[in-house]
Amino acid sequence: MLFEYLLRRLSLLLFMVFTLTVFTFSLNYMFPGELLSNITGQINPTYEQSQELIQQYQLDKGIFIQYLAFVERIVQGDWGLSLSSGQPVFEQIVKLFPATLELCVYALAMAVLFGIPGGIIASVYHKRWPEKVINSLSLLGFSVPIFWLALLLIMVFCLGLGLFPMSGRIGLLYEVDPISNFILLDIILQSFPYEGLAFVDALHHLALPTVVLAMYPTTVLIRFTRDSMLDVLEQNYIKTARAKGLNRRQLIMHHALRNALLPVIKQIGLQFSTLITLAMITEVIFSWPGVGRWLIDSIYQRDYPAIQGGLLAVSMFVILANMLAEFSHTLFDPLSRNQAHGKV
Amino acid sequence: MAKFSLFSEESNRSPLSRLWRKFKSNHPALVGLWVFVALTLLAFTAPFIAPYGINQQHGDALLLPPSWHELGDVRFILGTDDLGRDVLSRLMNGATFTFGLSIVAALVTTLIGVVLGTFAGISKGFRSSLLNHLLDITLSIPSLLLAIIIIAVLGPGLLNTVWAIIFALLPQHIHSVRNLVVEELNKDYISAFRLDGASKWQILTRGVLPNIYEHIVVIFTMALSTAILDIAALGFLKLGAQPPTTEWGAILAENLSLIYLAPWTVGLPGVLLFIAVLSTNLVGDGLRQVLKGRKVD
Amino acid sequence: MRNLLLGALCTYLLGCIDASQQTIRKTQGLVYCAEANPVSFNPQVTTTGSTIDIIASQLYDTLLSIDPETAEFKPEIATHWQVSNSGKAVTFYLRQDIEFHHTSYFSPTRSLKADDVVFSFNRLFDVYNPYHFVGDASYPYFQSVGLDQLIRQVVKVDDYTVRFELFNAESSFLSNLATDFAVILSKEYADHLAAIEQKDLFDMYPIGTGPYKYKNYLRDNLIRYHRNENYWKHPVPMQQLVFDITTNGTSRIAKMLTKECDITAHPSATQLSVLNERTDIRVDKAPNLNIGYWAFNTEKPPFDNLLVRKALAHSVDFEKIMQAVFYGNGIIARSHLPPSSWAYEAQKNMPAYNPDYARQLLIEAGFEQGFSMTLWAMPVSRIYNPNARKMAELIQSDLKQIGISAQIIEYEWNTFLERIGQHEHDSVLLGWAADTPDPDNFFSPLLSCTATFSGKNPANWCNPEFDLLLTQALDTTDVEQRKVFYHQAQRMIIEQLPLVPIAHGMRFQATSSDIKDISLRPFGGISLGKARRD
Repeated sequence: MLFEYLLRRLSLLLFMVFTLTVFTFSLNYMFPGELLSNITGQINPTYEQSQELIQQYQLDKGIFIQYLAFVERIVQGDWGLSLSSGQPVFEQIVKLFPATLELCVYALAMAVLFGIPGGIIASVYHKRWPEKVINSLSLLGFSVPIFWLALLLIMVFCLGLGLFPMSGRIGLLYEVDPISNFILLDIILQSFPYEGLAFVDALHHLALPTVVLAMYPTTVLIRFTRDSMLDVLEQNYIKTARAKGLNRRQLIMHHALRNALLPVIKQIGLQFSTLITLAMITEVIFSWPGVGRWLIDSIYQRDYPAIQGGLLAVSMFVILANMLAEFSHTLFDPLSRNQAHGKV
Repeated sequence: MAKFSLFSEESNRSPLSRLWRKFKSNHPALVGLWVFVALTLLAFTAPFIAPYGINQQHGDALLLPPSWHELGDVRFILGTDDLGRDVLSRLMNGATFTFGLSIVAALVTTLIGVVLGTFAGISKGFRSSLLNHLLDITLSIPSLLLAIIIIAVLGPGLLNTVWAIIFALLPQHIHSVRNLVVEELNKDYISAFRLDGASKWQILTRGVLPNIYEHIVVIFTMALSTAILDIAALGFLKLGAQPPTTEWGAILAENLSLIYLAPWTVGLPGVLLFIAVLSTNLVGDGLRQVLKGRKVD
Repeated sequence: MRNLLLGALCTYLLGCIDASQQTIRKTQGLVYCAEANPVSFNPQVTTTGSTIDIIASQLYDTLLSIDPETAEFKPEIATHWQVSNSGKAVTFYLRQDIEFHHTSYFSPTRSLKADDVVFSFNRLFDVYNPYHFVGDASYPYFQSVGLDQLIRQVVKVDDYTVRFELFNAESSFLSNLATDFAVILSKEYADHLAAIEQKDLFDMYPIGTGPYKYKNYLRDNLIRYHRNENYWKHPVPMQQLVFDITTNGTSRIAKMLTKECDITAHPSATQLSVLNERTDIRVDKAPNLNIGYWAFNTEKPPFDNLLVRKALAHSVDFEKIMQAVFYGNGIIARSHLPPSSWAYEAQKNMPAYNPDYARQLLIEAGFEQGFSMTLWAMPVSRIYNPNARKMAELIQSDLKQIGISAQIIEYEWNTFLERIGQHEHDSVLLGWAADTPDPDNFFSPLLSCTATFSGKNPANWCNPEFDLLLTQALDTTDVEQRKVFYHQAQRMIIEQLPLVPIAHGMRFQATSSDIKDISLRPFGGISLGKARRD
């Protein structure tokens, strides 16, 4: 059963990746500018060069062959050159993606840390003041434009109180060699250079972007957990348990929580896709050297190969994260394997 | 909560008036609704009631603080920006772009979403499977990212942003409407209706749609709050409305360089955005609560 | 709740780091907030001021320099020099103790010799030099001042003596060699790269003789230099020099306030008051040789019509611009040259704000209905124009009054310059900051025909009469005579209006007050070799 489920998911994944590559491939034609430079990132190549590139990318062949050549190239890691910097796109993405991922992971961890307990507390104190406070706070957090929140926090914590730096991942005078490109990991791998100060500094730089980024998913998780808990608490088996004389604490800890958290697990995974998008805005404001800021810069500069590569990488990641979320959900909840179609 | 009631007249009120009674008792939601209505009115009348033109420059009044400040001037209630333009007028006109266009975008999305969602709901077999898979793919990409992708193709600009947001919100909508329709179709009264010989069209128009329209309104409010946030975010990132268009996010981005000298030019558009999204969410939340309560009844 | 927790965590962390953070900063180095990515790491191939600030004096040395106070020539790599009687040959005698940078990508085996000087200058004009065509063979500064046409050959006399032979004597030759662009590169490094067929890397991985050496560069993020331990001139106090690339002017100020930067390039005038209030930040202000202008693409109709250019010039209220954009921190232009130049002459017929007259001129030119045009606004803040976007909006609204609809166009800085170079624009807000005090520096690199061909003439204006004036001025060494020619040139610009001079900006620089020994020069880039922290 699990095997069959996996097979079904895998075929869906393949289908999604296929659609995605078709889409990115067609972007080459949709973007303004010349097809050849959109694909390769070569600006004004000489005649020989362009002949060679046309050969290489099979641009003289039919559209289907072109697509195959495109996929082959993507798989090989040849994502063309950036129009504005002349650097290979793939290399840049590999360098920048960990920074974005790092930010998202911490923000997600924070959201889980505050969101789920928040939601549980709200459901436990249903219709009493703690729920009302949490609800109002989450509604506020849900409604605040993230860029405005970021600016407010910068005004208060960086410029007003001087507690946090406002840009980058680490003080620029600390020289940390990129090994994994995850800054904290790199610092640990290099056994805490600068007497551990680099590590502390990196944490400082992380604080505000993480809070800003975590705001939205936290509120979503609070609301979701609360609703899910309330749903479960309405169910008959809970009523039975209550009739048997269990107190509220026992009821929640032993009976309700597990079932209520099942859908939440899936929700956590789905938040990744929202996070990646919000990370783009966060990165721009906090000058975080991640793939989001790079992608937005590329759009300003109409750097088509870079836009294409960035989109492909980000969407691919979102799809994978969603798949993983669903898969882990299935591991915990065998019932959900029966669904015939992909449902979200 | 089943209650014994001696007089049954009360429950005979129309569903709509019952909805309104319940909604009224939720005060935050009610306030949200009033603000919402006010903003909507503003969005449509702003160009006529704003005291100054959006690009009217007052060379003698650069960077005036709001009028309650000691350096302020009553002529400019919320002060002026660095080009001597009236902040109040610009913000009022901003409602047209940020709020008004968001409403348009959300309405269009809802309309298309209902049509396609219903179609998806009643279709079966391969067609349904393909549609669902396609939906799944687009659903997994968040609306703002999808909007950014579309803008990358179309190029920056306010109109492109609106298109992009409509496109980006659609999959979610179709999906939600489809689920609603499927859920409703599985109910017994529909089966009874069908057995009575009702055509597909009759089932839809008389059975399904009247029973889900309130939910559609909830979906609409969700779409609206997303649309406002996305339009503003894109404006802020300079991918959406371009200055001197007075979209709130764009105003905010444009005035960012004045944040020390004239913090009100940055703060106010943010506050307005916040209020707009908050009121929309309050209305949506209130509505949802009422609908949920009805289910329990 | 969340903030509370975080707050607690921070105070805990802050307590222990504040003191040691200070010591680390003190010994570690200097952070300079730069406003744009460098175009290249070789000053020969660019004239972009933001790039020159980052690379020129930090990585390289020149043969001689100009003393900012006395405006006299000062020895650098050359200990002394001799100009022949005819003025057609100049001999330089070089120092013998100058080492090139030792880096991870190249270790030099010999010190600087005449070969290096010959190589560096040959690259500019000698088509047989293996590096001449690396890049796109464009050496904008040298080509725009005509240096490539002037030098007959550069001869190595012995290992430490070099002779420049010129086609004719030119008064600005030495000052051109003293600019930030005339740097000395390593021939040994060039040969090494040629041997491994990696000539393209030459301009991106620099080897020079300056106080700092290149470590790494992350586009849009940072450039890191390390100290050159063997610097010949003086010991370098800072271990590192880091350029934090922050294109947004507000962010640069904010970083200054949060102490993430020690020096900020071109803080915009709007925010100077914020910086002035702080005691731990010093704002230096110095007059600077520069001009901000509005140039028309004179090859493109209707801007080839003098009446149209005049109408445009008269339609804009420049006084308002001075107030709204410069906040009183600039001088309104009365000529193309700034008042501090010795060849300056205030023009009587500067176009004044007069929309009625402008409309009349338009009607005369046959554009009663007005027209639409593009107005390119540079995306970065420079001395001569702290906020081109805002200036463009002001101009846009003024133009609207005479029935012209202007569309504002912005690109990323380097793309912007590239497209301007290809003359895609109708009109552009740009400017020029001088590299030398010589007045020619304001004319030849900007408005001469050669500048048109090298894409550096934003007005796309090639006027043989004007060029003749410039050549005549260069051909004589008599200062009074030169003055006469330059006065004529200035008058001609205002009469023909290929561009409208708008303002001369003051050079501002915000520095953390514990940083010492940085001086602002009225021309050329900034030099950070001696910078230290108290």
